[in-house]
Amino acid sequence: MRTFGELWRSTILTKWVMAITGVLIVLFLLGHLSGNLLVFVGEEAMNEYGVWLRSLGHGTLLWVVRLGLVAIFVLHIVSAIRLSAKNRAARPVSYARTESRKSTVASRTMLLSGLLILAYGVYHLAHFTWGLTNPDFYNQTDALGRHDVYHMVIASFREPLIVVTYLLAMVLTGLHLNHAISSAMQTLGVSHPKYVTIIRRLGVGLSIAIAVGFSSVPLGVVAGIVK
Amino acid sequence: MDLKNNIPSGPLEQKWDRHRAELKLVNPANKRKFNVIVVGTGLAGASAAATLAELGYNVQAFTYHDSPRRAHSIAAQGGINAAKNYQNDGDSVWRLFYDTIKGGDFRAREANVYRLAQVSVNIIDQCVAQGVPFAREYGGYLANRSFGGAQVSRTFYARGQTGQQLLIGAYQALERQVGLGKVRMHTKKEMMDLVVVNGRARGIVTRDLTTGKIETHAADAVLLCTGGYGNVFYLSTNAKACNVTAAFRAHKRGALFGNPCYTQIHPTCIPVSGDYQSKLTLMSESLRNDGRIWVPKKRGDNRAPDQIPEDERDYYLERKYPSFGNLSPRDIASRAAKEACDDGRGVGPGGLGVYLDFADAIKRLGRKTIEDRYGNLFEMYERITGEDPYSVPMRIYPAVHYTMGGLWVDYDLMSNLPGLFVLGEANFSDHGANRLGASALMQGLADGYFVIPYTLGGYLAKGGLDTVYTDAPEFREAAAAAEQKVHTLLNINGKRTPASFHRELGKIMWDYCGMARNEAGLKTALKKIPELREEFWKNLTVPGSGEALNQTLEHATRVADFMEFAELMCVDALHRNESCGGHFREEYQDEGEAKRNDDDYTYVAAWEYTGDTAKPVLHKENLVFENVQLATRSYK
Amino acid sequence: MRLRLHIWRQAGPDAQGMLKTYDLDNVSEHMSFLEMLDVLNEQLMEKGEEPVAFDHDCREGICGTCGMVINGRPHGPLARTTACQLHMRTFKDGDEIYIEPWRATAFPVVRDLVVDRSSFDRIIQKGGFISVNTGNAQDGNAIPISKTDADRAMDAAACIGCGACVAACPNASAMLFTAAKIGHLASLPQGQAERFSRATNMVLQMDAEGFGSCTNHYECEAACPKGISAEWIAAMNRDFAKAAITSRD
Repeated sequence: MRTFGELWRSTILTKWVMAITGVLIVLFLLGHLSGNLLVFVGEEAMNEYGVWLRSLGHGTLLWVVRLGLVAIFVLHIVSAIRLSAKNRAARPVSYARTESRKSTVASRTMLLSGLLILAYGVYHLAHFTWGLTNPDFYNQTDALGRHDVYHMVIASFREPLIVVTYLLAMVLTGLHLNHAISSAMQTLGVSHPKYVTIIRRLGVGLSIAIAVGFSSVPLGVVAGIVK
Repeated sequence: MDLKNNIPSGPLEQKWDRHRAELKLVNPANKRKFNVIVVGTGLAGASAAATLAELGYNVQAFTYHDSPRRAHSIAAQGGINAAKNYQNDGDSVWRLFYDTIKGGDFRAREANVYRLAQVSVNIIDQCVAQGVPFAREYGGYLANRSFGGAQVSRTFYARGQTGQQLLIGAYQALERQVGLGKVRMHTKKEMMDLVVVNGRARGIVTRDLTTGKIETHAADAVLLCTGGYGNVFYLSTNAKACNVTAAFRAHKRGALFGNPCYTQIHPTCIPVSGDYQSKLTLMSESLRNDGRIWVPKKRGDNRAPDQIPEDERDYYLERKYPSFGNLSPRDIASRAAKEACDDGRGVGPGGLGVYLDFADAIKRLGRKTIEDRYGNLFEMYERITGEDPYSVPMRIYPAVHYTMGGLWVDYDLMSNLPGLFVLGEANFSDHGANRLGASALMQGLADGYFVIPYTLGGYLAKGGLDTVYTDAPEFREAAAAAEQKVHTLLNINGKRTPASFHRELGKIMWDYCGMARNEAGLKTALKKIPELREEFWKNLTVPGSGEALNQTLEHATRVADFMEFAELMCVDALHRNESCGGHFREEYQDEGEAKRNDDDYTYVAAWEYTGDTAKPVLHKENLVFENVQLATRSYK
Repeated sequence: MRLRLHIWRQAGPDAQGMLKTYDLDNVSEHMSFLEMLDVLNEQLMEKGEEPVAFDHDCREGICGTCGMVINGRPHGPLARTTACQLHMRTFKDGDEIYIEPWRATAFPVVRDLVVDRSSFDRIIQKGGFISVNTGNAQDGNAIPISKTDADRAMDAAACIGCGACVAACPNASAMLFTAAKIGHLASLPQGQAERFSRATNMVLQMDAEGFGSCTNHYECEAACPKGISAEWIAAMNRDFAKAAITSRD
C-alpha cells in the first residue's frame, strides 16, 4: 500500500491542495466582499458588522477563521511554489519561438499575479487590519464608540495612491481568478462536455464579479457616492 | 537439403490440436532457464515477447525504434479478420480458411492457413480482454465490416486505426512484462547479423543506433519478427525504416528465403505527386465498401469528374467482377487499375490514377454516416492532396504494400536453421501468393500469441542446447563483420547518398518486378541491379561518424542489403513461369486474368544463399492440397 | 517557393546546440514537411555536410515517431496534424520557419531534432495495461460495452505517444499522455480491476520522470495531433485523488 506521504508529494494531490484552498479563498473573498459592500448601506451597517464579526463565538470564532485563513494561504502558496519549481525544472531550455493556442495571459502569469497579490495582501492587512500604514485613519471611533470602519475606508480611498494600488490589485485578482476558478474545477475533476463550457464561463464571470465588486468601494468613494 | 515442413498428420481440423498435444512441454521451473531473443516489436514480435515472458521465459526484445510502439503494424487501418460468425452470415473457420487459401491463389499451405483461421477467434477475445476498443453496435456487441475477397462480414475494426489499437494492446502487454522484469527491452538497437553456432541460431549482433556500439547477444532461440521488405521498391506504403536486413542476414547465414517475388500491390493508395516523394500513403481497403471505382470510358478525357456523365464512366470492377465488384481482392483490383491507366484512361497528373467515388454512398447514407465510417481517412486524404473527398472523388493508384514472401518456416514457424523462428510478415507462411485484406494483423497476432508459445516450447524441450557465451568465435566473427561493414560504408567517400541509390533501385524494381513482370524485363533488372550495386559500393557518401546517431548510415546499411536482396526477388520472379496472386507474369494470362500453372509450380520456392546472390539454389516444398480443389480463382 | 529555415543543430546529448540558418529553394507545395527536410538533407550531404537528424517513420501520422516544434507549435500550424502530414501548401514563398526539438527534461535531446521519449514507455510499464495473460480471455462478446463507452475509450486510445502534449505544455507536463492511457482503460469494464492502482502508479512514475505539473493551459489538447481532450486530465485527477484516499493497493 502506498503511504499517504508518498501520494501527498505527487503533483496531482498538490494540485488538489491548490484547488481546494483556492476554492476556500474564493469563498472567503465572497464573504469579505459582502461585508465590504455594506459600505453602500451606510455607516451604521458597516460598523455594526465589524462589531458583530469580532463578537462571534464570544470573540474566538474570528481568530479561528483568521488562523484557518493563514493556513489556507500558506498551503496555497507553498504548493504553488513547489509546483512552479517543478515546472521550471521540467523545461530547462526554452523555445526560440513559441506560439500559444489555448493558454491565456491569465494562465501563463499565475505565479506572478499570485505573488503580487500576496505582496498587496500583506500591505492590505497592514493598512486595514493592523492599522500600521495609516494609523490616523485606523484609530477612529464612531459616535457609539465602535471602531469606525466606515470612515477609515472613506478616508483611505480619498488618497489617490491607495486607490490606484487597490484597483491594480483588484485587476490582478481578477486576472488570477479568471484562470483559477475553472482551473480548480478541472483539477478537482469536475469536467464534462455538457457543462465544461458553462464552468469556464462561470469562472470568468465570477472573477470579474469579484474584481468589480471590490473595486466598487474605492470607485464609490472617488465618485462621491459613498461619503 | 531436405525441406521438412513438419505438418502433423491427421484430418485438417485436428492437426493443430493433435500437434499441441504431442509437442513436448518445458516445465514451469525450467522456463526461466531459457533465454529467447525477439527481434522486432510489431504485432508478431510484441505479442510473442509478451506471451513468452508470461509463460516464464527470459526474453530480450529488440527494436530499432525509440519505443516498441512505433512498429509499422501500427499503420494498418482497416481491420482484423476472425471467423466469429457474430453476424450469422455464414462464416466459419472453414470459410475463412477457404477464402484465405483461395485469396492466396492456392499457393499457401493448407495446414497453416487452417490453424490461422482456427486461432483467429481467440485473437479477438484476447484483444478485447486487453482493452482494445473495437467498434461496437448500439447493443454493446462487436461490430464487423466487409473486406476484399470475402462475402461475409468478419472484419473487426477500431475506427481506421485497427493496427494501432492491436499493436498498442500487444505493446502494453509487452511493457507490463518489462515492468515485471521478465522482458529486457532494447530500443534503438538494430540487428546486424544472426549468429549460428553448431548449426543452430544462438544469438544476434546489434548496433546501438545512438552510440554506434556493436553488441552481441546470446540465447537459446531467436525469433525474427521483422516485417516485410516492400521498401525494396523505395516507394511503398511501408514506413521509412522498414527493411529486409534482419531477414536477409539470416538468409545469408543459411536460412532459406521463401517466395521472395510474392509482393502485394495495394489498389487504394494516394498517387505519387513528385520526385521528392518519400513514401506512399494507403487509403484503407474498407473504403471500397462504399466507394465506387471508375475511370472515364474515353481515353484522355480530362473533364472534371463531375462533368463526366454516368454513361461515360467505366465502373470497371463492377463490370468485370459483378459478384465481388469493388470488393475484389487486392491483386485483381490493382491490376485492373493498371490496365485502365495503361489503356490511357487514367486520371490526374500523369494519368496514373483512378477515381474512388463516394458520391453515391453520400447520397444513399448521408454525409454523417460516411463521416462516421471514414472521417479520419477522408481528413488524411485532404491533408495530403489538398482535395476534399466529400465533394471530389478520391484519386487512387496501386502501390507496394505487403510482401507475402519471407523466410521459409515449417509448421512450427521454425526456419531450416534450428532455433531460428520467423513470425508475422517476415515469414512466408500463410498468405500464398496474395494476402486478403485484414489478414496481416490476424497472422501477426496468431503467430505471436497462439502459435509460438507452443512450438517454441516444443523445440526447447527437445534439449541438446549447450550454453553458449558471446565470447564464442562465432559471435566475435559476426561482430567483427558488422564493424567492418559499418567501417566500409563510412569510408567510400563517394558522391551519391543512400537515398539516391535506394530510389534508383526502387525504380528498377517497380519497372521490371512490380505489378506486371515479364522475362525480358526481369532479365534487364538482373543486369541493372548488380551494376547499381557496384556503383553503390564505389560512389556512396555517408557523412558523419559511426559513433553517434547517424541516420544516413542506418539507411546505407539497409540499402546495402536491399541491393542484394532485389536480385533474389527477380531471380524468383523469373523462375516462376506462371501468374499467381500478386505475381503477374505478362506471358501467362487469360485476357488479363492471372493464369496459374498448377502442374509445374504448386510449390514453395525456397532459396538458399550460395555466396552469389545471382545464383541461389532452389529448394521446392511441394504444396499438397487434400481438402480444397485447386480452381481458377473467380470473383466474377 | 523559397524558404529560410532556422533549425536546431546539436551534435549529441551533451553537446552545445544552436539554431542554424539554411536557405532552401524550389520547395513544392505538394511536398510534406518531412520531404522538404529530406530535400534539404540531400543537398547538405551533397555538400559533404551532416544532414539534420529528425525522427520519422510511417509518415502517415500514426506511428508517433516524428515530432518537431515548427514556428513555436509542436507539429506545426495545422490542428490535428502530425509533422509528417503537414504539407508545404500551408506555407508561402519567403516564409521563415523555426524548427526545434521537443523541449523537456524528460525528453533529452539525442541529436538535432531527435529526443529520447523512453520516459513514456516507463510510465506505461507502471500500469498502462490490463493484466491479462494470453489465453485468459473469455469470448469477445461476453461483456457488452455500450457504443458510447467503446467510442470514448477509442477517443483516448487514439494517442500516438508522440509527445506533442509535453512539447506544447508551458510546464512540459505529460498529463495528457498519462491521462489518455488511464482514461482509455478506465472507460472499459475490463480496465476496472486495476483502475485505481493504475492511476496511482502511472502518475507517480510521470512525476518521477521529471515532467512538470498541469496548470490547465490546455495547450496540450490544442497541440495533440489526435485531438485528445483535456477532459481526460480531469478524469485522471478524479481517479488519482479517489485512489489516494480510499485505495488499499
